[in-house]
Amino acid sequence: MSTIAIISSFADDTRCARAIEQLREAELGDFNTFSPIPSHKIEYAIGRSKSPVRWLVLAGGISGVLTGLAITIGTTYEWGLNAGGKPLVSWPPFIVICFELMVLLGGIFGFLGVLMLSGVPTTETAPGYDGRFGGDRFGIVVRCDEAQAERVESMLKESGAEEIVREDEAQPR
Amino acid sequence: MAAAPKAIPEPSFRDIDRSVLRVMEPAGLAYWAWIGFCFTLVAIAAGLWARQIYSGLGVTGLRQPVMWAVYITNFVFWVGIAHSGTLISAILFLFRTKWRTAVYRAAETMTIFAVATAGLFPLIHLGRVWFFYWLLPYPNERSLQPDFRSPLVWDAFAVSTYLTISALFWTMGLIPDIANAREAATGWRKKFYTVLAMGWQGTDRQWRHYSMAYLLMAGLATPLVVSVHSVVSWDFAMAQLPGWHSTIFAPYFVAGAIFSGVAMVITLLIPMRKMLGIEDLLTEWHFDNLAKVVLLTSLVVSYSYITETFMAWYAGDPIELMTFRMRYFGPWGWMFGMMVLCNCLIPLLLFSPRIRVNMIALWVISIFVNIGMWLERFVIIAGSLRVNFEPSQWGSYHPSITEIMITVGSFAWFVGLFSLFSRFLPIFSMTELKEGIVWLRKALKMDRVKAA
Amino acid sequence: MSSNLQLAHRKRAATKPQAVESVAGATMKAAAGAMIVLGAIAFVVALSRGRAAIAWEAYLVNLLFFLGVAQGAVVASSSFYLTQAKWGGSTPYRLGEAFAPFLWVGFFLFFGLYFGRSLIFPWVTHPIAQKAAWLNTPFLFARDGIALGAMAVASFAFIRVSRGDGARAWTIATDEIELPPHSIRVLAPVVAVLFAAVYSLIAFDLVMSLAPVWRSTLFGWYFFAGCFWSGVTAMALTAVVLRGRLGENNLFTNPTVMHDLGKMVFAFSVFWIYLLFAQYIVIWYGDLPVETFFIVQRVHHMPWSPLSVACVVLIWLIPFTLLMSVRAKKTPVILGTVSALGLAGMWLERYVLVVPSLSLDAIPFGATQFLISIGFLGVFLLSAVPGLNRVAQAATSGEPVGDDAE
Repeated sequence: MSTIAIISSFADDTRCARAIEQLREAELGDFNTFSPIPSHKIEYAIGRSKSPVRWLVLAGGISGVLTGLAITIGTTYEWGLNAGGKPLVSWPPFIVICFELMVLLGGIFGFLGVLMLSGVPTTETAPGYDGRFGGDRFGIVVRCDEAQAERVESMLKESGAEEIVREDEAQPR
Repeated sequence: MAAAPKAIPEPSFRDIDRSVLRVMEPAGLAYWAWIGFCFTLVAIAAGLWARQIYSGLGVTGLRQPVMWAVYITNFVFWVGIAHSGTLISAILFLFRTKWRTAVYRAAETMTIFAVATAGLFPLIHLGRVWFFYWLLPYPNERSLQPDFRSPLVWDAFAVSTYLTISALFWTMGLIPDIANAREAATGWRKKFYTVLAMGWQGTDRQWRHYSMAYLLMAGLATPLVVSVHSVVSWDFAMAQLPGWHSTIFAPYFVAGAIFSGVAMVITLLIPMRKMLGIEDLLTEWHFDNLAKVVLLTSLVVSYSYITETFMAWYAGDPIELMTFRMRYFGPWGWMFGMMVLCNCLIPLLLFSPRIRVNMIALWVISIFVNIGMWLERFVIIAGSLRVNFEPSQWGSYHPSITEIMITVGSFAWFVGLFSLFSRFLPIFSMTELKEGIVWLRKALKMDRVKAA
Repeated sequence: MSSNLQLAHRKRAATKPQAVESVAGATMKAAAGAMIVLGAIAFVVALSRGRAAIAWEAYLVNLLFFLGVAQGAVVASSSFYLTQAKWGGSTPYRLGEAFAPFLWVGFFLFFGLYFGRSLIFPWVTHPIAQKAAWLNTPFLFARDGIALGAMAVASFAFIRVSRGDGARAWTIATDEIELPPHSIRVLAPVVAVLFAAVYSLIAFDLVMSLAPVWRSTLFGWYFFAGCFWSGVTAMALTAVVLRGRLGENNLFTNPTVMHDLGKMVFAFSVFWIYLLFAQYIVIWYGDLPVETFFIVQRVHHMPWSPLSVACVVLIWLIPFTLLMSVRAKKTPVILGTVSALGLAGMWLERYVLVVPSLSLDAIPFGATQFLISIGFLGVFLLSAVPGLNRVAQAATSGEPVGDDAE
C-alpha cells in the first residue's frame, strides 16, 4: 500500500471548507490546503487552535518594556546630570521610551515568529502546490493510502472540486 | 464615463490579478524619463547636501533665533504624510472598514518612503552628520549616553521604531502578493519575485500564523502611529516658547498628519488610477471615503486653531499674545492666511457629495491641503522662533537655495521611489482585494447605478 | 402578557413594532423617585444650614457627569451612522439614544447654577480684569445656555430621524454599502461637530474657569473625550444589565455584540489616558507655575493624590488589563463590572477636576454630597426609562446582525 497524494482544486472557499469538514469527519485528516487569501471559513473548518505567534509578540513587548526601563534608568544614573531640574528617574519621558521599545520588539518578534512558524524562507515546494493556488483557486492535497483514494475523491467531488489529480507520493515537485 | 449604459462589472479573482499585475509589465520610455527626472532632482539635492556637509550649516538661511526652519518643517511634514498610510492599513483594518483594501498597499508604501524621507532630515540638519549615532544608546568607554529626558531622543526612538514596524508590516502584506506575482512572471522578474516571496505557498499553516500576526501588528501599529507624531509634536511642546508650549499639540499634530497624509494618498492615487486604467479596482466609493477622512481631520485641525487662539487670548500672557498677533498679522501673516484657506476653508467643499467624487476637484483640493499643511508646520516652527521672548532677539529667516533644492529633492525622492516601487512590486494588494471582493462588486454596482 | 402587548400595540401607531413591557418596573421607578426626593431635601437642607458651597459643588459635579454620559451616548449613536456600523442592527443606536431626555433636564439644571454662582465661580466675587470680557455672569450663562440648548435641539432632531423607519431599515441592511438616509447624513455630523464645540466650551467655562489662572489647550478635547467614553461605558453597562432582564435570545446574548461594546470601552479608555498623559507631560516638562499648580494640587498633594490615582486605575488600568482579551470582552460579568467601576471612576474624575478648585484642603464629601449625587442619579435613571424601553424593543425584535467574522 503506497501513499498517494490527491490534489484537488476549488473555485471558492465555501466549497473548500465543506470538503475539509467532510475529510475531518471521516478522519482522513492528513491534508494541506492552499489558498490565495486567508479564509476564515477554511480556518474554522480546519479547527486548529490559535496561532502561538501572539505569545511571541507578548514576549517581545515585555522585553521591550524591560529593556526600556533598563537603558533609561541605567544610563541616567551613570553620570547623574541635572537636566532642567527634572528628577534623574523621571517616569514621563521614560514611559515614552519604554512604549516605543515595547512596540519595536513586539513587532520584530512577531514578524520573525511568523517567518519561523510558517517555515519561510524555504526553497522546498509543498507537494501538490500549483501556481493557480496563489491566484484564484483553493486547493486541498490529501495524503492517504491507495485503498482510501476512491472515498476521498468522491468526497472531494461531492463538495464541488473542479479538478482532482492523483499523484504518487514520490518526491515533492 | 461612457455614454451607453455599460454592464455592471463583476470582477473575479482572476480579474483582480490581471488588473494589478498589468501595472507591473515592463515600462516605456515616458516612465523611465520620469524616473530620470526625479532622480536628477535628487542628485542635485544630494550635491547641495554634500556641499553643506563640507561648508557647514552656514549655507542655509538658519540664523539666530530661527535655528529650526525648513529642514525641521520637512521632517514633520514627511512624518505626517507617513501616518496616513498606517492609519489606512492598520487602524482601518481593526475597524474592519470595507473600502480600505484597494488603497492600503499604496498608502502603506507611501508610509515607508515618507518615513525614509523624513528620517533624512534630522541627519541633514546635523552640522556633523557623521556623529548621528550619538543619539542612540551604545556602550562606550566614557559611558556617554543620550539623555532620555530629551524629546529629541524620544524622536530618535519613535521614528526608528515607526520605520521598522511599518517596513515589517508592509513586507508581511507583500509576501503573499509577491508569491502570486511570481507565478505569472517570466525571466529575471520571476527570479526576483521568487527570492522575495521566500517560498510562500499559502498553506493553511502559513495563513494561520500570518492572520494572527497581521492582526497583532495592526494592533501594535495603531498606538505606534499616535505615539510617533505625538512625540514629534513634543519636540516643540516641551519647550516653554509661546506658540510651541501647548498641551493640544499631540492629538492636533496626529490629526494634522492624517489630514496631510490622506490628502497625499489622494494626490498620488488619482493620477495613477487614470494612467493605469484601474477604475474598476479603485472606485469612486473609495475616494468618497478618503475625502470624508480629509474632511473630518480638517475639522479637527480647525478646532485646534480656534482653541489655540482662544486660549492665547484667555490666558492673557503678553508674550504669548504677541506671538499670536505676529503670527496672524505680522510679516508672515500671509502664510497664516494661506494656511487657513487651504486647511480650514477649502476642505469644507468636501461636504458636497458631488465634489467628493469629482476626481479633478478632489485632486486640486488635496494639493491645496498639502500646501497648507506644509505652511502650517513652517508657521508654527519658524514663526514662533522668529518672535520669541525678547524683542531684541527677534530676527528673520529666508530659506537659501540649499534648503529649497533639498526640499524639492525630498519630494522628488519620495515620488521617484513610489513610482519605482509601483512598477516592480504590487501596488495593490491582490490578497486583500480578493478577500473583500464582495464589497468591491457592490461598490462598482453602486457607482454604475449612480452614474446611470 | 398578551393583553399588555395588545394594549401597547393599540396605543402606538400601526407602523411601529410591537412594544414590550417596560424595563423599569414600578419598584424601580419608585426607588428613583425616592432618590430624587432625598437629593432635593439634602440640597435644600445644606443651603439653609450654611453649607451651600458643598451643595453647589455636588450639583456641578453631577451635572457635568450625567450630562456627559447622556450626550456622549447620543454622540456614540451618531458616530455609528458616520462609521456605518451594522454590528448590532438598530439596537446600538437605541442604546446610545436611551439617555437623551436628560439633555433637557441638564439644560434646565444648568441655569440653576446661576443661584450658586458666587460660590462656584471665583471670578464672580473676585472679577479678573483681564478676563472680564469672557468671564462674566451674563455672557457665560448666555453662551453656555445657548450652546447646551442648541446641542439638545440638534440631538433630538437627530434622534427623531434615527428612530424613523428609513434609518432603522438601513441599520439592518447588513449586506449593503449604501449610505444612511439623507437627513441622517446631515444630522449625524452636526451632532458630532456640535458636541466637540459645545463640550469644549463647557469644559473651559465650567471647569477650567474655576481656577481662572490655569489654562490647557487640550482640556476641552480631554473633557469631551471623557464624556464620550462615559457614554459608551454606560451603554455597555446597560447592555449587560438588560441582557439578564430581557427574554431569551435578546440581542445582548450575542457575544459579538458584547465584543464590540467591550472594544469601544477599551479603546476609548486608552484614548482618554493618552489625552491625560499629553497634558501631564507638557505641563510637567515646561514647569511653568501658572500651569503646574493645577496638576500638583490634584496629583501630588494630599488629600487629592489618592483620588487621582484611583481615577487612573478605574478609568484606564482596570479596563485596559481586564478587557484586553477577546474572551473577557464577551463575558458579561467582566464587561459589566469594568463598566460600573469605570463610570464610578469618571464621576470621581469630574469631582477631582472641580472640587479642589473650590475646596482645596479637605475633601468635602459627606452625606450632603452623597445624597445630592443619588438625587441626580435618580433623575438620570427616571429620564432614561422611555429610551430603555425602546432599547428593549429593538433588542428583542430578532433583527439580523451584521456578519463581521472574527
